[in-house]
Amino acid sequence: MKTRAWTALLCAALLAAGAAFAQKTLTIVRPSDPVALDPHLETTAPGSWVYTQILEPLITVNQDMEIEGRLATSWEFVDASRLRFTLRQGVTFHDGTPFNAEAVKFTWDRAISSDPPGRWRSLASAVQGAEIVDEYTVDIVASQPFGPLLLVAAMPYTAIVSPTAVEAMGSDAFTRAPVGTGPFKFVEWRANDRIVLEANDDYWRGRPALDRIVFRTVPEEGARMLSLRTGEADMVLMPTPSDLPALDADPNFIVEGAPGVGIFYLAFNLDREAVADVRVRQAVAHAIDRELIVDAILEGGGVLARSVIGEPVFGFKDMELLERYPFDPERARALLVDAGFTRGADGWMRDAAGNVLTLQALPSNGRSLKDREIAEALQEFLRQVGIAVELDFFEWATTFTLMRGATLDYDLNSFTWFTTTADADYTMFSNYVSTELPPASWNRWRYANAQVDEWLKAARASLDPAERAALYGQVQDQLAIDLPAIPLYGSYEVAALSTRVTGYRAHPIQYILDLFPVDVR
Amino acid sequence: MLAYLIRRILITIPLALGVVFVVTVSFDLIPGDPAALILGEFATPQAIAELRTSLGLDRSLPARYVSYVGDILRGDLGLSIRERRAVTAILAETFPFTVQLALAAIALVLAVGIPLGLLAARRPGSWVDNLIRVVSLAGLSMPVFWTGIVFMVIFSVNLRWFPVSGSGTWRHLVLPAVTLALPSIAVVARMTRSTVLEVLIEDYVRTARAKGVGERTLLIKHTLRNALIPVVTVLGLQLGQMLGGAVLTETVFAWPGVGRLTVFAIFNRDFVLMQGLVLVLALVYVFVNLLVDLSYGVIDPRVRYA
Repeated sequence: MKTRAWTALLCAALLAAGAAFAQKTLTIVRPSDPVALDPHLETTAPGSWVYTQILEPLITVNQDMEIEGRLATSWEFVDASRLRFTLRQGVTFHDGTPFNAEAVKFTWDRAISSDPPGRWRSLASAVQGAEIVDEYTVDIVASQPFGPLLLVAAMPYTAIVSPTAVEAMGSDAFTRAPVGTGPFKFVEWRANDRIVLEANDDYWRGRPALDRIVFRTVPEEGARMLSLRTGEADMVLMPTPSDLPALDADPNFIVEGAPGVGIFYLAFNLDREAVADVRVRQAVAHAIDRELIVDAILEGGGVLARSVIGEPVFGFKDMELLERYPFDPERARALLVDAGFTRGADGWMRDAAGNVLTLQALPSNGRSLKDREIAEALQEFLRQVGIAVELDFFEWATTFTLMRGATLDYDLNSFTWFTTTADADYTMFSNYVSTELPPASWNRWRYANAQVDEWLKAARASLDPAERAALYGQVQDQLAIDLPAIPLYGSYEVAALSTRVTGYRAHPIQYILDLFPVDVR
Repeated sequence: MLAYLIRRILITIPLALGVVFVVTVSFDLIPGDPAALILGEFATPQAIAELRTSLGLDRSLPARYVSYVGDILRGDLGLSIRERRAVTAILAETFPFTVQLALAAIALVLAVGIPLGLLAARRPGSWVDNLIRVVSLAGLSMPVFWTGIVFMVIFSVNLRWFPVSGSGTWRHLVLPAVTLALPSIAVVARMTRSTVLEVLIEDYVRTARAKGVGERTLLIKHTLRNALIPVVTVLGLQLGQMLGGAVLTETVFAWPGVGRLTVFAIFNRDFVLMQGLVLVLALVYVFVNLLVDLSYGVIDPRVRYA
């Protein structure tokens, strides 16, 4: 009898060990550690990759840029500034707190009206907060008619937090161990080393296939790629572009990517005399071989930009820049001569006073993929048509401070702008309305076109998607003519994976990492 | 001896105040606003101004310095601007990793560097000596980020002996410790060789040899001890440097130590974290140097502390 009890115990132990052995763990490596695991303090993608597993918004956009319900089952506009959500019933947070309208209001109030407010508040633009209608109905309200409201409410930042957990832990502690309703629960965070999540057995869409997710921080890009090859990692986020073709060709690995919502621009400062003449800007456009930049410098890490907003963004229209401004140095030189410059024997373009046409540039440096190399290539492209470019490279904090200044002492700058909400309004309004000037807003080109202002204001106030899309289309056509900026490449959200991993699809919005359908073999 | 110790410890106070002052001023001089960096590219100036107020960044430089020094005296290193966590908690999490790596590396340096130097000094000009000199020159010249990657390719990818990067087990420690130790091994081996050679021509060595002392005893007992003082000085400097955070080694091997924390603090303009870091690092340096000075007395009984 005793022996049998021991045997039973041994069998149980073996079974338990077997179960532990069979645990399905997905190990992900990426270059940097998050700042926090709660959108209240976190504005970077490495943080949102983790919290999008733990916390869920009311609605989200899927990989095909369609709206899908998460904690809301249906939604409709009550009027142009009020969006009503019917909430999912029977959902509980990881700490057992029931999910209801109270939690939604708590989350939005914390982000918008607490002191200090959540760090994403300024992204919410005209959104004022949430109002409870009944226990499972809530309104998200804007201060004015606001067409982009639906996509703003679908941002990953708006994910709902457990009010009891925030109150019990305190806001700062909560940001390091968040409690939500998502498919995975927080386990531990060892700073600069790893973050561990485990499956939420009671998840309302069913238990996820994975048992654990381990996010590891590996800052060195060579080491990141090597850990995929040794099997220490199953997935590399932000992989080295030059390594991708070899991985793609290898049957043990998959490269999965999607064109993103970021656009890397060459931007003109229209306040500066040197680039105030549209013919000079057109000459610059003709002088740059954008296809060569994408093929030779980005090596698959970006896609040719077709507009000032990315293709997955609502309101995108192809600006047909290759047709309007094909790579043609001869044409560029002719445009400059037309603008009053004379080409000297040394090849440089000179104005009437004999000064070489020289552009001061403040390029993005170390912030966007290959930004430094692209700046150097642009310098050479422009030299070919007789324009001298002086590049001032600084580290990012300095460049960023200069770019945001009320006056900008540069003719050119470059940077990546992400249409984070995937709605054209987010980029178009702050970048192109004539009164949206730095430092208060983002019209860094100092672009002013009364017609464009009118279109953009009408598009913001409208709730009709077809009307809004048509207005944004008109704006993009006008921008192709006025040319305040030349979009160079679009972001490409890419991950390198081991073939062990199934069910992963890259998302156009860098901040969203969808691991619920993912499994490992 | 006690008076000497007390004086050495008291001297660290103005030193600590000085380094904190330098950090406070230098972070004020370089452009870049921590609040703007935290809120990201798309924040409004109003949001940035509010965050600056709530972080206390709108206070004047002297006001910030004085309140920070007051906090230090209460044992409080403040809240990290970027992470909103106590700097002491961040340091307590990070420092053990750096100490672990530094001690492992310095143990390798002692175990390999000094014997190599002795071996080379035994027959100066021999092929052994030449080989050691060439290899140590190579060890000194190879940059850490390159040796690190080469080790990874050989020992992790091909041989599968050690993990590529990370921390947790002793196997994670091997490659970073060897990578970090390599240049120091080279320095210490060359230093040991040259000082041993200097001592070997001393009169007492000739006397000992004439008395019939064996070569091995002569080298280790009579020569090495007298040659050690400059070697220990170099070792102390190396250890101080390693404890200050091996930025490149930590970055290549994803080792979560003080070096990467320093880079993080600088790029995010987190001057509160940086002040705490330099304060602790300055104290570590002082402590290591004190140990080195005290070890002189152990190595050479003629040394007196007054």
